[in-house]
Amino acid sequence: MVKFYFRALVGIIFLLTPERSFLQNSDAPKSLGNTYFIKNCFVVQKPGIVLSGQNVLIKDGFISDICPSSKPPFDAQIIQADSMYVYAGFIDGFSNIGISKPESKDRPKLPDPGNPPNDLAGITPQNSSLDSYKSSDKSVSDMRSAGFVISNVAPRGLMLPGQCNLILLGDESADKLLLKAKTGQTFQLESNRGIYPATIIGVMAKFREIYKNASIAGNHEAKYIANPSGLMRPDFSRELMAMYPVTTQKMPLFFVTQKTKDVHKALSLKEELGFDLILTEVKQGWHYIDKIKKTNTRVLLSLDLPEIEKKKAKSETAKDSLSTKKDSVSTKELEKVEKNPEKEAFDVKKEQSTKEYLSQAALFEKQGILFGFSFLNVKPSDIKNNIRTLIENGLSEDAALAALTTNPAQILGINNVSGTVEKGKIANLIITDKPYFNEKSAVKYTFVDGRKYEYQEKKKQENKPTEAGKFIGTWTYTVEVPGSVQKGKMVITKSAGEYMIKVFDNSSPGEEDVANNISVNENSVTFNIIADMGQPVKVDFDLKFAEKAYSGSVSVGEFGTFPIKGEYESEPKLF
Amino acid sequence: MNRIIFILILCTSTLAIGQNVLIKNGTVLTVTKGTLAETDVLITNGKIAQIAKNIKKEANYNEIDATGLYVMPGIIDAHSHIALDVVNEATSPVTAEVNVGDALNPLDVSIYRALAGGVTISHAMHGSANAIGGQCETIKHRFGEINPDNLRMQGAPRTIKFALGENPIRTHGEGSKIVPNTRMGVEQIFRNAFSEAKIYAKEWDDYKNGLRKSSPEYNLRHETISDILKGNILIHCHSYRADEILMLMRVLKDFGVSKVCFQHVNEGFKVAPELAAFGASASVFSDWWAYKFEVYYSTAYNAAILTRNGVVTSINSDSDELIRHLYHEAAKTQRYGDLSDDEALALITINPAKQLGIEKMAGSIEVGKDGDIAIFKGHPLSVYAIPQMTLVDGAIKFDINKDPDDMRLDINPSEKFSSFYETDKSQENNGCLQDVSEMLMQESYAKYLRFRYSKNHSH
Repeated sequence: MVKFYFRALVGIIFLLTPERSFLQNSDAPKSLGNTYFIKNCFVVQKPGIVLSGQNVLIKDGFISDICPSSKPPFDAQIIQADSMYVYAGFIDGFSNIGISKPESKDRPKLPDPGNPPNDLAGITPQNSSLDSYKSSDKSVSDMRSAGFVISNVAPRGLMLPGQCNLILLGDESADKLLLKAKTGQTFQLESNRGIYPATIIGVMAKFREIYKNASIAGNHEAKYIANPSGLMRPDFSRELMAMYPVTTQKMPLFFVTQKTKDVHKALSLKEELGFDLILTEVKQGWHYIDKIKKTNTRVLLSLDLPEIEKKKAKSETAKDSLSTKKDSVSTKELEKVEKNPEKEAFDVKKEQSTKEYLSQAALFEKQGILFGFSFLNVKPSDIKNNIRTLIENGLSEDAALAALTTNPAQILGINNVSGTVEKGKIANLIITDKPYFNEKSAVKYTFVDGRKYEYQEKKKQENKPTEAGKFIGTWTYTVEVPGSVQKGKMVITKSAGEYMIKVFDNSSPGEEDVANNISVNENSVTFNIIADMGQPVKVDFDLKFAEKAYSGSVSVGEFGTFPIKGEYESEPKLF
Repeated sequence: MNRIIFILILCTSTLAIGQNVLIKNGTVLTVTKGTLAETDVLITNGKIAQIAKNIKKEANYNEIDATGLYVMPGIIDAHSHIALDVVNEATSPVTAEVNVGDALNPLDVSIYRALAGGVTISHAMHGSANAIGGQCETIKHRFGEINPDNLRMQGAPRTIKFALGENPIRTHGEGSKIVPNTRMGVEQIFRNAFSEAKIYAKEWDDYKNGLRKSSPEYNLRHETISDILKGNILIHCHSYRADEILMLMRVLKDFGVSKVCFQHVNEGFKVAPELAAFGASASVFSDWWAYKFEVYYSTAYNAAILTRNGVVTSINSDSDELIRHLYHEAAKTQRYGDLSDDEALALITINPAKQLGIEKMAGSIEVGKDGDIAIFKGHPLSVYAIPQMTLVDGAIKFDINKDPDDMRLDINPSEKFSSFYETDKSQENNGCLQDVSEMLMQESYAKYLRFRYSKNHSH
């Protein structure tokens, strides 16, 4: 099928490319001014210190004043924050935020699987997360709306995926938002099945070898630079060169250690080789707490917690499922289900085990171990709930806040610029309507590098229109591409619980585009269509619906994002 | 409540604190120094301190009444794969650099089951996919420990797995179309690996002696193999056929290596005098064969013939099930070969200890050795034998009278079932897949093979 519409659109973008930067600048919300006056708020300056009735002035990306009696400057946007709370923006100690998952490829057929090229073996320490980070990735705005302002982003990959970078979670390019480059190397006990090293024993052996060779090569290079006479020219290995600073302890190693045995491997390998270890994504580290403490090892605990089952509810459902299965189930059989000593003993053990996982953070706090959090496997929308679970299991609110702000700032060496609400620090803040750890609190604003992101309270479901009235129907659309306007119709239908969206553009009558990856939330619909431009170009739609109208954005591959809006026209019909 | 206390005891008993215990009035099968009736064994700080009649119990000693029971040294299994998360790094014909010590799993409940069969030490081995597989780990069955290091037997020499025959040929020759694709190829793998390691070691010696300015590249594979050539690592070689057993002895002789234990060695009886002359030892199954082509020519008299020819012989399990009744396996050599009690018991105690280089620390009841003890009701070589209690370093690790149902140390909070049994059963009963089972069969069989291959490709 010919895609006239998208050819037209992409063509226009191509033509306009030289002027894009200009257009973007004039377009940016920053032009409204970058001075903000947060009026009459509580300031949680750092864990344990709350100031009331404060005015916070943000100017040129910095926190320029915190004062109870100051007046707003004439050019400031005033944010009425009565009874609201200002916190330092949260810092993600380690994650893959902003880096999309690579498409799963078939395992390559190698002539000798025992001797693969480094990239297939997962040995790419020279890679940088800056190369694959995209601020437009949904995970970035999700983290931001959860109150996070800085992520320590690691590239995705296998055993040695590459260098981490501290990136501010704004929406400009990574280069503009880089806070600190090369914060560390990453090491994961992960491998490509069927290719050396395929198992953890292979990965451990290979790591030792790489480490020793990096150390040898680094020393040799230094000797050669001092006096090359009679010395072999150093080998140029990007992999080893990337590892030099790890072997000299100038760059820490983020060792992903989820379970108890991984933690042991990390600690033993550190003892054996001597690198600067940061235990990362720790889920089960309490067995080694003494050693962690003794060695002053820095820790990032996982927020991916085991799910807690509601006990009563569960046994009831068990009964229910049994009785629905067989209506004529005898009471004897029912009792058997209820009194299974093996199951009961198991449940006791399981509960104990769950408790250990959930109280790990509290235990680390009690032992005085400095820890932040890492976010490899947790959904941003679950973060607050999970932290509250940790608090219910003994973690203090101050320690929880420290683990989100001051601790990661210290672990990552940025405590002089971020992590607290203090004059002179970067304006990385969040504003919540209630104390953050309150069950019903919501993040109202996130400031990243002085730039404001505002969040509307999710509309309560009181007068919610039926889904049909909300999304289903024929809608007009208008896309504003610089210098041109693109119009057409969009038809949203639903059958058998599945949404279906077809797009008809005015420029190509009779043609239709069918949407993929449709995702429908409370008020928003996202989907994409693939336009065939010689090569496939993905066009992402992100639409926010209000009553009888919507607005949002359209992203065309790497060419840019453009505003789209439209109105309800009629019941679904085809063109 | 008792159960919980027992689990707590298991969890908190650390090896640092050697246990004090007095085993009273048993029939002590020392294996090396005869059988002593109504004798006490005193274990102090985890080591055997005294063997005599009527030893007086001191205050801080536990007492075990062994009246009417048999007290034997803890059983040693020279070939096992329990307590390991990874068995094979099957991607290359030579992987000397990998070490299953990096994949120790102290949480494996198989350790407890082995203890219930009187086994206190096992040789956790790399698999047999590669001609030169990885290094192995001699472990003590200190079940209850969480730290993998606490399983390692301090003072046990390094060991490494070699493999001959069909397994490396199938994996690499047939699987990846590389050498070895024949038994000749397997030999060449050894010769190349040894030769390369020699060159490597020389480069480093030159560097250390100042004959070379720049450091050579570090290669953990060559490094490990040169340690074999220096005699610092014992070879344990998976093997079946007589011709290839002779082949490896020739290769080792050419490279000056003398320490080798042949594993399985089903045709060992054909070359028993040659094995004895070389000083090689043999670790065999009692009566297990015909599971693939190269394992047909076998006999249950193998262990007896090897023993009578002066070869240090042991009987191993290579299985988390067989490891629970190695005493029965040893007893079979009395039916097939008329070995004496001490000879038969030596097959699962002092002989495997010699093969692992730990005979000074374990394998018999002698003063100074580790307090590793198995206590039986009925003679351990009797078909009516029942293990009663197993001690490691003097600590009771299994007691048939305090044997809780669920001995798992690590429960995954997201686990749904209380036992493996239920997990299996629920899969069988998965009615909604019944009709597609044929469709899935091929896929799941392939998966099964991959699983077998990765976990148990060992015999």
